[in-house]
Amino acid sequence: MSSIQEDDDLVFRKIASLIEPLNEKGVKLTRDTDLIADLEIDSVAVLDVVMDIEDSYDISIPVNTISEIKTIGELVDAIHAIKKEQS
Amino acid sequence: MSLFDKFQTTATQYKALREGIGRDPFGVSMDEMKGPTRAMVNGKEIVLAGTNNYLGLTYDDRAIAAAKDAIDQSGTGTTGSRFANGTYAAHRQLEIDLAAFLGFKHCMVFSTGYQANLGAISALAAPPEDVILLDADCHACIYDGAQLSGAEIIRFRHNDPESLDKRLGRLGDKVKGKLVCFEGMYSMFGDIAPVKELIDVAHKHGAYALLDEAHSFGVFGDNGRGVCEAEGVLDDVDFYTGTFSKSLASIGGFVASNHPELEYLRFSSRPYMFTASPSPANVATASAALARLKSDPSMRENLWQNAKRVHAAFTQLGFDLCAPESPVIAARLEGREQAFMAWNFLMENGVYVNLAIPPGTPNATSILRLSVSAAHTNEDLDAIINAYTALSEMLSAQAA
Repeated sequence: MSSIQEDDDLVFRKIASLIEPLNEKGVKLTRDTDLIADLEIDSVAVLDVVMDIEDSYDISIPVNTISEIKTIGELVDAIHAIKKEQS
Repeated sequence: MSLFDKFQTTATQYKALREGIGRDPFGVSMDEMKGPTRAMVNGKEIVLAGTNNYLGLTYDDRAIAAAKDAIDQSGTGTTGSRFANGTYAAHRQLEIDLAAFLGFKHCMVFSTGYQANLGAISALAAPPEDVILLDADCHACIYDGAQLSGAEIIRFRHNDPESLDKRLGRLGDKVKGKLVCFEGMYSMFGDIAPVKELIDVAHKHGAYALLDEAHSFGVFGDNGRGVCEAEGVLDDVDFYTGTFSKSLASIGGFVASNHPELEYLRFSSRPYMFTASPSPANVATASAALARLKSDPSMRENLWQNAKRVHAAFTQLGFDLCAPESPVIAARLEGREQAFMAWNFLMENGVYVNLAIPPGTPNATSILRLSVSAAHTNEDLDAIINAYTALSEMLSAQAA
């Protein structure tokens, strides 16, 4: 397993652990899970989860970026891109 | 695929809740107003406790006379924008009076409070080099102004200077202008911002502080200049925004500042340039209410006395209140269904409050939001407290 793949899994698991408390329908979380359509989390709750992610990774994820993100996988990718840019 | 698909989930939920209680919390019609604190709704007189009429000035004699005079002298509408044919002497005079009252050098009047924030924020910050940082619980108009600017937007944790500090510290060297936005008193929970700490953090990082005192203007501070006056930091605010539609009982909004560049917004702020200016009657009412606010501190004293009485009564009843004493008193309920039911129960007991549910509320809470007015009489407050007492009994009976 490459280090990027490993890191990817870690970030995915981190996000999944932050989202799980909001996963009232018990949906199985995958990279393709749509935050709003599948989990029925409201847009403000998504922003709040992102704030937890920001503090976990010490990065800032602009609201402008979040509004373009639909799935958990896209969120993982955005975090990688921002970590790279801000490091 | 239709344009309307995206509304379906919310529409279905909302319809079920509305039909469940047989009334629409977001479409209540005040059929006849009976004064600042009473209205007829469906043939029944209701005590209004969800109005933002903090100083109770909606029926002020002098404001009403001034509005009538303004219509006689200047007509019903301006039919134009501030930028084109819509600036009248009264608009300028109100700007001068507001600036003088707050102690700022410059002031711009907008057509609504929403547009004041929309217009200021969207014009001040621009992509790609400016960044807007906003408190997570900021009002929709601050979010919308930020979106309209096109600049990068970063949220910081509500009322948390350390969270702001971290986010400002993470910004790279590429960033030029930084605008930090927050409010004095937050409209939903009635909680107060640590304005001094937030301004200090903003300035430490070379950022400008924009403070929205929409709900706190006229309410906080020895002279009613807002939370920043109460905290002794009014002079440190870069951009002070406010509204005429709450304490001043009119419609309109403003931005005040000591930065002479504020005047540039007159030819760069689209929500200022491309909308009709406030009508003569609205301007006259706001001016008269401001004059009363300056000369009569008793309204603020009544307001706080009323707020303290209601807050203490609700605390004693065991309601889970969202903030310490302030004129906005919000009680947390268990969820949407209970909140709808409780709201309807209060209506049936003759009291109108605001129902607020996610995503319009912080932390996905469902609340009943009540705003106290200086014009509430003891009888009004008795009615409110009695209705909440009955509600609390009903909720405990259900829980048992």
